[in-house]
Amino acid sequence: MKIKTTRFGELEVNPSDIVTFNEGLLGFENIKKYFVVDPGDSTLILWLQSTEDEKVAFPIIEPKIFKPDYIAKLLPADLNGLELESIQSAKLYCILTIPANVTEMSANLKAPVVINSAKKVGKQIVLQDSKLTVKHEMYRELKTYIVNFSSDDARRTTFESSITIESGDLRNTNSPSITRTLEA
Amino acid sequence: MLVLTRKLGESIAIDDNIKIVVVQIKGKQVRLGIKAPKETKIHREEVYQAIQDQNTEAVQASMSDIARLGEELKKK
Repeated sequence: MKIKTTRFGELEVNPSDIVTFNEGLLGFENIKKYFVVDPGDSTLILWLQSTEDEKVAFPIIEPKIFKPDYIAKLLPADLNGLELESIQSAKLYCILTIPANVTEMSANLKAPVVINSAKKVGKQIVLQDSKLTVKHEMYRELKTYIVNFSSDDARRTTFESSITIESGDLRNTNSPSITRTLEA
Repeated sequence: MLVLTRKLGESIAIDDNIKIVVVQIKGKQVRLGIKAPKETKIHREEVYQAIQDQNTEAVQASMSDIARLGEELKKK
């Protein structure tokens, strides 16, 4: 099927590549259908393009590229609706903000996007870890990666999964209570 | 909205499995303890707001900025 986009013109998209975000993304709750565009440029940035609004496209990137030690610890509740049978089919991306001064680009580490590539469903997940920020500046790290690997054609490698599940069991929903403190 | 008055150490039960306790009151700050099943998501409200704002900013990325970023990143 053909899909109009403001950034990439008209794209031919296989309907089986369309990912459904049942809850939308925060602030974009009404937009549910997206697909991933790889423009194949040197920045390693992909785009989560909406099929429903041609203007809506989020630049995304695999966090391991600029932050190899990034781990998203998911709670059992985070997995609701993702239909994950195996962590291997989960892909994780961070949404990028790219201002006019591009060296101030940042990644949202606090709320990554997880896509179940087998079932084609996705979700923006807010992680509990309070040290993660929504605006992690990472221009320098990305540049280091690109300069070091610029001669390597196979640089679009698959990274080890950056996801762990807190309970360690996808089916466990009767996990014990935990106590948390929130400073108001 | 239901409004309840609670003293230090008192709590509120929500359903059978969520309990909110007033742990400390210090001037204008209240410290709350929340006991809830592990699958319950608990966040400060402003976290959601910050993510929403960030998403709105992210979606404004233009292809010309990306092209410039591509050039900058390639410079040794």
